Amino acid sequence: MGPYDSSISSNSTSSACSSSTKPPPPQQPPEQMDHLLAGAGYKVRSNDLTQVADRLEQLETVMVKSSPGDFSELGNDTVYYNPTDLASWVDSLLTELNPNVTVHGSGPGDVSDPDPDPNGFNNNFPVNMNNNNNMNMNMNVYGEFGQQVVTPVEEDVSIRLVHVLMTCAEAVQRGELSLASLLIDDLQGLLGRVNSGCGIGKVGSFFVDALSRRVVNSPQNGVVQVDLSAYENEILYHHYYEACPYLKFAHFTANQAILEAFDGQDCVHVIDFNLMQGLQWPALIQALALRPGGPPLLRLTGIGPPSMDGRDPLREIGLKLAELARSVNVRFAFRGVAASRLDDVKPWMLQVSPKEAVAVNSIMQLHKLLGPGGPRGPPIDLVLDWIRELNPRILMVVEQESNHNQPEFLDRFTESLYYYSTMFDSLDACTAQPEKTLAELYIQREICNVVCCEGSARVERHEPLVRWRERLTSAGFAPLHLGSNAFKQARMLLTLFSAEGYSVEENEGCLTLGWHSRPLIAASAWQAIPKPSAVTMGR
Amino acid sequence: MAGSNEINANEAKKVVPLHTWILISNFKLAYNMLRRPDGTFNRELAEFLDRKVSANTVPVDGVYSFDVVDRSTSLLNRVYRYLSPENDSGRQLGAGIIELEKPLSATEVVPVVIFFHGGSFTHSSANSAIYDTFCRRLTGLVEGVVVSVNYRRSPEHRYPSAYEDGWEALKWVHSRSWLVSGKESKVHVYLAGDSSGGNIAHHVAHRAAMSNVEVLGNILLHPLFGGEERTESEKRLDGKYFVKLQDRDWYWRAFLPEGEDRDHPACNIFGPRGSSLSGLNFPKSLVVVAGLDLVQDWQLAYVKGLQKSGHDVKLLFLEKATIGFYFLPNNDHFYTLMEEMRNFIRS
Repeated sequence: MGPYDSSISSNSTSSACSSSTKPPPPQQPPEQMDHLLAGAGYKVRSNDLTQVADRLEQLETVMVKSSPGDFSELGNDTVYYNPTDLASWVDSLLTELNPNVTVHGSGPGDVSDPDPDPNGFNNNFPVNMNNNNNMNMNMNVYGEFGQQVVTPVEEDVSIRLVHVLMTCAEAVQRGELSLASLLIDDLQGLLGRVNSGCGIGKVGSFFVDALSRRVVNSPQNGVVQVDLSAYENEILYHHYYEACPYLKFAHFTANQAILEAFDGQDCVHVIDFNLMQGLQWPALIQALALRPGGPPLLRLTGIGPPSMDGRDPLREIGLKLAELARSVNVRFAFRGVAASRLDDVKPWMLQVSPKEAVAVNSIMQLHKLLGPGGPRGPPIDLVLDWIRELNPRILMVVEQESNHNQPEFLDRFTESLYYYSTMFDSLDACTAQPEKTLAELYIQREICNVVCCEGSARVERHEPLVRWRERLTSAGFAPLHLGSNAFKQARMLLTLFSAEGYSVEENEGCLTLGWHSRPLIAASAWQAIPKPSAVTMGR
Repeated sequence: MAGSNEINANEAKKVVPLHTWILISNFKLAYNMLRRPDGTFNRELAEFLDRKVSANTVPVDGVYSFDVVDRSTSLLNRVYRYLSPENDSGRQLGAGIIELEKPLSATEVVPVVIFFHGGSFTHSSANSAIYDTFCRRLTGLVEGVVVSVNYRRSPEHRYPSAYEDGWEALKWVHSRSWLVSGKESKVHVYLAGDSSGGNIAHHVAHRAAMSNVEVLGNILLHPLFGGEERTESEKRLDGKYFVKLQDRDWYWRAFLPEGEDRDHPACNIFGPRGSSLSGLNFPKSLVVVAGLDLVQDWQLAYVKGLQKSGHDVKLLFLEKATIGFYFLPNNDHFYTLMEEMRNFIRS
């Protein structure tokens, strides 16, 4: 295959995917992108238009020669990446169809650069219409960017609820706490009059609660959230995991990408930034056990908070995973690293060996590092730096897709009201108890942190994918695109949930999971661009 | 055959601008991969490839959008609203809330266009980038509201799902107090659609006429009609401008009930199995026909049929236009269309 191949045909049979995530061509300066096609969702450099057109013509010729069945076969087996990049999409199709065709030009106009790693990788206040035909339609609709669109209902209580919530948040922002208190009384009254089982009534009550904590407990500087015991934390997490697909999607997509990154590697090391109950890892262990050519030696380093009660939860999970690994004949070693904050972790604690392929797995952890920094600088920069030093084959990042880190309180409040309303709506589809209630409590803790806390106590500093892309790119990471295979499998995962309404979307090489058309979780994969001075660890 | 296809590619390239050729060719190729000979459709890959955009409540060029979901049907409507500069200030109630409490206008008539996107009943969504862009333009053009319906698609959902979704959307729009305008205090509804969307618009208008639900006008952009007979335009233009007849056949087989043929009344409006529209309060229509679209004979037959039934129809025949000419503002047909649509709605 030529240097422009961007996919491998895989005779994919099992869940182990034999094609890999792919590094994309470098970012082009925006002014060179064609505006017309941008409106159709494609990024093509103006200079490349003629070439893309030529390739399309070649494709047509080839297409004519093949039967319709051949062409649709392409859709079944081949894995595709980042359809927004039209030029490389067209190239990959051409190479798929006709490997003998020389794809011309590594000329100045070419968007696809030669594969930089030839030995490496080869390689996207909605509504509750309580739909009774009667008049009480509690309908909230939402648009992007955190603005809430509220429509009137015959019953105007829900509208008032939102108004007063916003007014109260505004008062809090201005420091007018006595006014805020009065408004909270008002809000409690309104809550009594709406349907608190769903919609704005449900999520509204959590926000009222959060506001009231903030106002009552501590004036300007926000509250410090009471820590739950590790046990309590686990219970909430576990039920959140069961009640909705967000964590499963995160684990599933991450495992897929990690599996691909470990292709052909004999010694692999996964570093999990938040081990919790290790729910992500049995599936990876099993997938590695089944991979063609046999499993590698797998090391897992799980990071977690230090235990207060004499137990060693990290070790306990490690033992369970070890037992599972043994039962499927995967050589396995586990190490627990106790740290209350990720920036307390030092790379030497992870004991990464030069011979092993490293995967760093961060599920909803990086945003916690966006708080105020210490004398050594912003925590996020420190951590991204040592991640890069580890030279991982893959850094998997899954984050909440929303901006809850804006400097102004009111903006954060509004955006999170929108975000969590959508999330609660999706949760409505779950009927299992106590999963649902405990999942709501899990989410409530996030809401409280966003609304009530400030400074270093506020750890839920979610930022959207576009921001993470900027951050990771400037920290020296290049995107690894998640392709159509991961997309397809994520969609299959969703069909296990009876709730219709979850949607997986492809977003320039990343995958998002959302409720209807609102993405709520974004998964992206990255690889470290080696520092010029770093010793190249053997690949 | 290879030779003739090259000629065809060159012919199409001569009549459309480069960007349009790239865009439509790209769709054509991708769609070829998605349709399987056995009549099934590779929905996973289709959703992966479709470029989607989110709604945006921050106005861009005076238009903002938001999505509304009906939980019982999972039907998604994307609502676009035009905000004229002078109206902007009164809109926001405290930071971050846009409130649609008041009717659109108590004095002026504000058109609400229910739009059905194209895709031969199979492709695209209300949040597809090409349709989001188109609807935004339409919203700014009519200075009103556009509601884009995310109807259920074939082959997973055949006739009459799309029509039912369209009907539900029409009822929904009529029942929104915040879409009311004008001295008569009612919702001023138009239906519009391209390709299969045009077909849906017709059928929803038909049902509306029979149920006494008001529709003020229909805009059909190269609507998808057909029949068993092979018309002259179908034979002449087969494979020449992005579309092959066999592809059209595939989509009808995927949409129509199994075992049906193309004389089914969903497809062949004024054919042997069509019902009469005479005497019904059918809305005035603007039918846009692209002169290089192989379906044009059916579209022209539709226009004649409407006329014979005594209904007001304006035909806009764009001789040198191919399908999809309205996706990009880079040709005369696009601007002619915009002008005609504005006049049609504002008149």
